[in-house]
Amino acid sequence: MSRAAPAVHAARAAPAVITGIGVLCPIAPDPARFTEALRAGRTAIAPTGVDVPAYTAPLPEFVLADALADVGGLPTGLAERALRVAGRSPLPVRAATVAALQAWQHAELPGAGVPGDRVGLVVAGHNLAGRYVQELRPAFERDPAHLSPRFALHCQDTDHVGTLSEVLEVTGEGFTVGAASASGAFGVVAAARLIACAAVDVCVVVGALCRVSDMEAHALANLGALARAGQDAPGAPFDVAHRGFVPGEAAAALVLESAEHARARGVRALAGLAGYGAKLDGNRLADPSAAGEAAVMRAALAMAGLQPGRVGYVNAHATGAPRGDAAELAALAEVFGPDLPEVRVNSTKSLTGHCLAAAGVLEAVATVVQLREGFLHPIAGLVAPVPTGCRLVTGRTEPVDLACALSNSFGFGGMNASLLFTKTGA
Amino acid sequence: MTENRNVAAVDGESAELAALRRCILAVVPAVPPEHIHPDRSLAQLGCNSIDRAEILVMAAGELAVATPVDGIHEDSDLDSLAALLRESR
Repeated sequence: MSRAAPAVHAARAAPAVITGIGVLCPIAPDPARFTEALRAGRTAIAPTGVDVPAYTAPLPEFVLADALADVGGLPTGLAERALRVAGRSPLPVRAATVAALQAWQHAELPGAGVPGDRVGLVVAGHNLAGRYVQELRPAFERDPAHLSPRFALHCQDTDHVGTLSEVLEVTGEGFTVGAASASGAFGVVAAARLIACAAVDVCVVVGALCRVSDMEAHALANLGALARAGQDAPGAPFDVAHRGFVPGEAAAALVLESAEHARARGVRALAGLAGYGAKLDGNRLADPSAAGEAAVMRAALAMAGLQPGRVGYVNAHATGAPRGDAAELAALAEVFGPDLPEVRVNSTKSLTGHCLAAAGVLEAVATVVQLREGFLHPIAGLVAPVPTGCRLVTGRTEPVDLACALSNSFGFGGMNASLLFTKTGA
Repeated sequence: MTENRNVAAVDGESAELAALRRCILAVVPAVPPEHIHPDRSLAQLGCNSIDRAEILVMAAGELAVATPVDGIHEDSDLDSLAALLRESR
């Protein structure tokens, strides 16, 4: 089947605005410290001392009660319910709970009186229990008769949805969205559509933490996707030494709502989601397609009614995999054409590692933060850039005053998405 | 593995009841230890359906007995559950 030309949409108001952000990641445990870590260009990537994975950006250990206590202003009853509901959950659900409550509080939703059935919940991610299953297996093999019955719920990705809905008392539409490493961005698209069709007024999107199992890590290594050992650093995205991605661990969250709804309850918009594109390559493999990646960036621009020259910054998918980085650069050249030399590009994965299903939400948060705060973080570890044609942010944090930005996410199986954020939220 | 929080055995308490007490406090730490009485049900202590199942399986594991599945009701009191665990030996 031939690829149809992207539909051209008339300029329209932002389909949704962002009113809250949450993040628990290798470089910071909350949005305020995430902002400072981005500004400092701090990376959490470090060698592991083993062959596979050779480098990681792990999530520092955290105690749920302490993390909830650190969410400033969170009502005591809500924190206690979260502890009761998620206290015995596996790590990914506990991390999701922290990130979701940070965003919920940031959006001033506690006590706001928004009916539960007008709030949606999208959890971005799939195959989230691999490490949990691996860790339980020895005990199960010793004594299968006494496997915790809780495992029947915990092994399902939808346990995130059930748990978060109980914590937040959400009774509107909710589900998981799976799109490999583009899950987070596809989740944001799903949330925007729930708002656009008035199924809900507010939607929480959570990018779920993935801690890969040993089997997954070895398969990714054998596929050539993981950065291999051999030097002090894994080779930054867009560096001539790039040689694969570094697994990172994060949960991140956004609160989306219609601009009218945010205005009506007197809450400021942190940014607008002015457009998005989400498409398939028609390809089950781990083979990136520059044409497919360009198509979603064009779709996001068309929905926002913007010419490429208006976009000054792209938060690239940029995992550090040579073929993936090359495809994205080719896609950027195709989309931006003569404007390419003016486009600044960085890779948040150079700081946090590739947080897989959560990456799209985490990097959306990073994009919103940088737009609002007026800076772009450098690509950590970038020493010798490959030829790109664009303005890679290297060496130091760059002050900027940008109106809008794209955030790209591309997953195995030809799953591509691009989100276009505006600073004003107008 | 159960946490060692306020789990001192009550005088004259059976091994089964003591195991249930430890498991309740591990699974639902918010339950005040003094509320745990043989004539109370897990539901009365605030345990939901998955808590109740986990407590029973955990106690059976601790006692190295088969997990009882028949004769258990939402309102079974702790004495009844202890008796079922004893019969599973």
